Amino acid sequence: MKKLQKETLTNLCDQLASHPWHDEEIEELVHPKLGIITGFQELLDQLEVLRKTDLGHTPPAMSVQKGN
Amino acid sequence: MFMLHSKLQSEEDIAFASATELHRLMVKGDLSATELTDIYLNRIKKFNGLSKAYITVTPNEARVNVTSFTRHDLEASPFAGVPFAAKDLFDIEGIKTTGGSRVFHDHLATEDAVSIARLKKGKAISLGKLNLHEFAYGATGENPEFGTCPNAYDTSRLAGGSSSGSAAAVAFGLAPVTLGTDTGGSVRAPASLNGIVGLKPTMGRVSTRGVMPYCWTLDHVGLMTRTVHDCANLLGLVAGFDPQDPVTVNVPVDDYAFELDNEIAGLHVGIPANFFYERTDPEILAAVERVQRYLVSHGAQLVPVTMPDMTNTRTVSLTVQMPEALSVHSRYLDERGDLYGQDFRAGLALGQCLLAEHYVRAKRFIEVYRQQTNALFDDVDILLTPTTPAIAPHIGTVTTKVDGMDEPVGNAITRFTSFFNMSGHPAITVPCGLHSEGLPMGVQVVGRYFEEKLILNVARLIEKNDEFSVPRPKIG
Repeated sequence: MKKLQKETLTNLCDQLASHPWHDEEIEELVHPKLGIITGFQELLDQLEVLRKTDLGHTPPAMSVQKGN
Repeated sequence: MFMLHSKLQSEEDIAFASATELHRLMVKGDLSATELTDIYLNRIKKFNGLSKAYITVTPNEARVNVTSFTRHDLEASPFAGVPFAAKDLFDIEGIKTTGGSRVFHDHLATEDAVSIARLKKGKAISLGKLNLHEFAYGATGENPEFGTCPNAYDTSRLAGGSSSGSAAAVAFGLAPVTLGTDTGGSVRAPASLNGIVGLKPTMGRVSTRGVMPYCWTLDHVGLMTRTVHDCANLLGLVAGFDPQDPVTVNVPVDDYAFELDNEIAGLHVGIPANFFYERTDPEILAAVERVQRYLVSHGAQLVPVTMPDMTNTRTVSLTVQMPEALSVHSRYLDERGDLYGQDFRAGLALGQCLLAEHYVRAKRFIEVYRQQTNALFDDVDILLTPTTPAIAPHIGTVTTKVDGMDEPVGNAITRFTSFFNMSGHPAITVPCGLHSEGLPMGVQVVGRYFEEKLILNVARLIEKNDEFSVPRPKIG
């Protein structure tokens, strides 16, 4: 997986059906300063670990039931 | 004027009394519901500038409602005449639901949220709507539009969030009980930081209909109270199946306050061997260990348990939260995008840039967490953990450093709570003492699905020990 470039996110938002984001928001994803969210690169690295985990046939979570 | 009572010598004593005690005084005739409502409204006038707890106060509605119930109502409901307030995500008919944001400055609710309707049916008196981190996004509770709620024990520190106003209102004596929402710990964490009781019931125990969503998969209605008994009564009032909410589950609602003082001999208490006791303030660890010893002295048995791999739980939670939040706000972003706060817009942009497979995989991990956590409950009755790894941070803190590791402050506040939003298990925080810096600490008790009665019972036992109580904060 190549290192994330800000340009990639900008192009993604420009070329797919997307809300019009300001440059500051995309910048926050690449170089976070607000202390609220994880940097996107870090998140992608962790998601890559998750992608390589075999979950068998586990379905997505739905509502919980008593006794399950 | 209310009659002075042996324990309640002033209006401040009344303001910091439990809902149970206030109701008892009203039934006895020592205090009228009108007097009680006025005491709180006067305190809100006096202290809301400091606490920032309320976004909207509704004195006229409160004064009308307070005259609308009978003696029979007073005796039938433990909340008749008792004031309450709700996080400004809950719809109350005829009142604005701002979500703590400029975006909804003109958003008037046309009907009550289910939990509000149930409180009103129990003749509780709504005082208004409470402050929060914009749209419940973030655990610091910082809000540039409505102000940041300070901690009642040290106003240079955060109340925490996202249900910051819900915690501050109880902690500053501006309401005896409040409703909040808990998506990653937004009720339990601020409750712990402010020395009060906070409950996130089982997913599906309390309807979220009429509550502005943040993340459907993880949102829970949560309760904040001064005592465990109040929490038990409040849950009994708001819990229950809602056929129009696909998440609620049709299981009987217990009488949670009945047999709340049961002994716990033979209870198996799970102590996580990983994650929950790491990178934590040593004083908090020591307090939680004192709670463990206390439970053992009452006949409980400590059982070491290994939690699921917690390495990526934050990632899983965030990967579900942000696309769902974006979906909630999609329409308003188009119409009023520039009214959103900078930090929330960045979070929504993150939701935009994740791939669909990331989201689905995260949801599958949540199912794994549920199965693995349920398996733990084959061997234990409850889990016991610290509620937060640290005391309330100072306002303006961006990152915290623990054991050489930097962590965004919001992540740190909810590090021990967010997992149970994913697993869906009921979790309660109760105070477990005062830190040497004068701030409250909390311990979290987690139970099997729909076994709120047991965790309330354990929380009540902890509460009964003065060693774990926290003093009333000095306000003003």
